[in-house]
Amino acid sequence: MTNLHEEPLTSAHLEEADTPEYVAQKHGFLPIETNWFDRLFISVVIWVALSLFWFRFLEPVGMSIWISNVIAFALTVFIVTKG
Amino acid sequence: MQSNRLGWILLAPTLTILFFFGVLPFIYVVYVSFHSWNPFAANPEMIFNGADNFRRIVFDEEFLNSVGVTVMFVFFAVLSELILGYILAQAFMKDFPGKSFFRTIHTLPLIMAPIIVGSVWKLMTTPSIGIIPHYLDEWFGISMNIGTSAFAAFTTIVIMDIWHWTPLVTLTLIAALVSLPPDPFEQAQIDGANKRQIFWHITLPMIAPAVVATVFIRLMDALRTVDEVWMLTGGGPGSSTRFVGVHIFKEVFPKTNYGYGSTISVIVLYLTIVACWLLYVTMLAPRNSKEG
Repeated sequence: MTNLHEEPLTSAHLEEADTPEYVAQKHGFLPIETNWFDRLFISVVIWVALSLFWFRFLEPVGMSIWISNVIAFALTVFIVTKG
Repeated sequence: MQSNRLGWILLAPTLTILFFFGVLPFIYVVYVSFHSWNPFAANPEMIFNGADNFRRIVFDEEFLNSVGVTVMFVFFAVLSELILGYILAQAFMKDFPGKSFFRTIHTLPLIMAPIIVGSVWKLMTTPSIGIIPHYLDEWFGISMNIGTSAFAAFTTIVIMDIWHWTPLVTLTLIAALVSLPPDPFEQAQIDGANKRQIFWHITLPMIAPAVVATVFIRLMDALRTVDEVWMLTGGGPGSSTRFVGVHIFKEVFPKTNYGYGSTISVIVLYLTIVACWLLYVTMLAPRNSKEG
């Protein structure tokens, strides 16, 4: 006689193989659900915007673009890890 | 695992084409954007100049003006197309005599090449020979000249774009409306909801993905409009219809300034991606819950 309770367990590993890989969604301080690529994308968008802003308003008064890059890099690390 | 492999095999032709015609040119344009390159100048070499092109672009009044004009054009054109497209889609959901004929006629502008649309509208709006200035003058006493009036030129381009692309919006919204299940609408009617409530609380949320997809397509298209405008006004009078696409064209072809033209292209691509992403986030992205 077949043990009905064992059947799902015996086929469980096969079902697991068919299940698509789950991309982890993170709940951070950003108002939307994001994965690591979303957060990297947001960081790059901010990096470019900050650089253009810096070129227009802050570099003419003597502040190097490298300051902007350091701030943007720190923001990237913060957004990717905590966002 | 096998189905995964089959998926990659089926995707391979598309990905290959995308790589060679999308990704590689993009990487090349980004590379060129960090160079000063005018192949027809005394020194035709490509010279690396760091971020100088990007430093220049933020002070380029012509470029900033073209961005402003483009944003205004996109706002008026896409919004009008969306509203008009929805009204037409709702009209096509009902039965009326000559519906099929009208639907065919209404989609005809879609099959016309933009350069032809520009030519036709140029013929129609040229003072002294065009039908539009003629009847505007005869019926309303309005003198229309897109060669001298910035307002007339800009308005004509917006109307031309609406005429050309509203059928696309109509078709996608018809597809979305047809696929809606009837149950929520029947239940809302039984509960006593009026037409406005049904539109805001049932129809719009259910067709939101189709609306956003349509706006994406139109937004991206409108941001890179060149040929129709080039044919109709050439960016004038003055710089009133000098959209970013036209600005890039003038920078790259008549001036052969490939490096700076690439920089403008990269920035326009950046603005397009940001606009689409913001639209996606505000309309469709899943929200973060406090509990999570």
